Amino acid sequence: MKKLSENIMDKFTIDFLRTQVLKNAYGNDDTVIASLDPRILLVWYLFFAIVPWFVQDVYFLMGCFLLVMVTTRLARVAGLVLFLFGLGVFSQTGYLFLASLLFGGNLSTAVPLLVLTLKVATVSLASVTVFSGLDPDRLSNGLMWYGCPERLSFSISYAYRVLPMLMEEFQNILLAYRMRGNPPPHDTVPQKIRYLCYQVKIIMQAFYPLMLNTAKRSRTTVEALEIKGYRYAAVNKDVKKMKLAALRVTYNDLMFLAVSFLWVAVSALVSSIM
Amino acid sequence: MEQTRRQTASQSQKLMIFVLTMALYGLATLFTELIPKFQVGIVEFSVEYFLFIPLTLAMLFDPMSAALGAATGELVFSEIMLGQFGGLGELEKFLTVTIGVYIAGRMVKNPKNRKMVGIAAMTGVVLQLLMGTIVDIMKVQFAVEDFEAVAGLPESVFATEGFAFLNDALFSGILFCLLPTLYLVPMLYGKIEPLLGMSPRTEKTWMGGISGKVVLGSVVAFAAAAGAELLATSGTSLIDWEADWAESGTAMAVGMTVAAAVAVIIIAVLRKTAGSMKEERA
Repeated sequence: MKKLSENIMDKFTIDFLRTQVLKNAYGNDDTVIASLDPRILLVWYLFFAIVPWFVQDVYFLMGCFLLVMVTTRLARVAGLVLFLFGLGVFSQTGYLFLASLLFGGNLSTAVPLLVLTLKVATVSLASVTVFSGLDPDRLSNGLMWYGCPERLSFSISYAYRVLPMLMEEFQNILLAYRMRGNPPPHDTVPQKIRYLCYQVKIIMQAFYPLMLNTAKRSRTTVEALEIKGYRYAAVNKDVKKMKLAALRVTYNDLMFLAVSFLWVAVSALVSSIM
Repeated sequence: MEQTRRQTASQSQKLMIFVLTMALYGLATLFTELIPKFQVGIVEFSVEYFLFIPLTLAMLFDPMSAALGAATGELVFSEIMLGQFGGLGELEKFLTVTIGVYIAGRMVKNPKNRKMVGIAAMTGVVLQLLMGTIVDIMKVQFAVEDFEAVAGLPESVFATEGFAFLNDALFSGILFCLLPTLYLVPMLYGKIEPLLGMSPRTEKTWMGGISGKVVLGSVVAFAAAAGAELLATSGTSLIDWEADWAESGTAMAVGMTVAAAVAVIIIAVLRKTAGSMKEERA
């Protein structure tokens, strides 16, 4: 048991998280999904984000679920994200099922919950496909084409660039605190609890220098943006046109849409026959 | 220049605050998304809320920019980057975080006054959690058909949601919001503002307390949040439409399937000819 927990703790370092996140963002730009046009993918996503909520039929939902499962496979999403997805689905509905059993429900509770689970799973897998399958720059371009506020697409691009730096900085600050600090012993259970509290306290305190550093950095960022005339460019139509000129719909995109449509139609057919 | 001017920020300073809050809170929510939760008995210990970051910054700077930055940061870092974007439903979280942080930020007159900082921090957290709980309960009620008919489900939803709310408010609220905010706000006060080229907030320059306008705006925003969430979950007119379509039955579905199959074939042929034309040219 001790070995197991140590093993898990070994894997869950900040470095591991950083590589997983970076891999998720930049590691898979050669997949089928990543090469598609972001605008087409967003339309596709919109369908699978909205329609499942309005359908109660198990067969149709199952069909949609299988399709998004295949696309998630195609997008080669990082393992950590899929693990979180599983955890999220369970915490939304599995938890509810256990609780309703506790209050005298029986297996008949499972059927509406299966429908709910399929809905939640389909919607979140569709979003996993689109939002982690796509390159951040392509994604923000696609969003911009649909007239999303420039602030949002700026935030996406900025987030992906600044995140590795922030994580590294946070880790450095934590290490500095650890080197200077004198952690309490952690052999018995009460001592272990105190040790945990100490760790949490250090994490909180580490935000103090991090906040100051980030304040400096964000001032530099904004001033650099201002020099380039960012706030005027953000609302200028010509600039936007130049930025979006690289987007192009190809036959591959249409094929992707048509195949998805075919699959959905078939599952609608199956559900109407059943 | 010793006028009683309100603490306003220029456009670029607002952008700085926005970027600062977004980056910090985004990083923190990313951690919370990745750190596994562990349970002791039925009490769940999760590092649910790093909400102290936007709360702290909203008390020191322009509350609106900080609130929007926090909500955007959460959306971008933890939802979009990890591919957990929930569509329209995310609007609910976005708006509740914005309201909670904004109101907490407006409440503080003097950041050196620890009592007020504590009250404001707790108010922000509790407001945000309460709104989330209400929307969650409504969501399950609308999403599951025959909500009342399923044995034991209504009670279990109220019980689990209510318990989760209390747990979050007491555990995460005090440990991860109240204490760090109390620690950070007085320490950062007067130190972080010059880094963004601003003067610290004083009693003369604060924006004024919670007015009727703020409350009204928050209520409207909450209504929008609840509406968006419910729209994402349910939608009576569309369900009716769906029912009609299902009744017209197999013929329609067959038609759709045939149309889709034809589309696939046509596009495949087009793609092939386009490919061979390119090869000929080359």
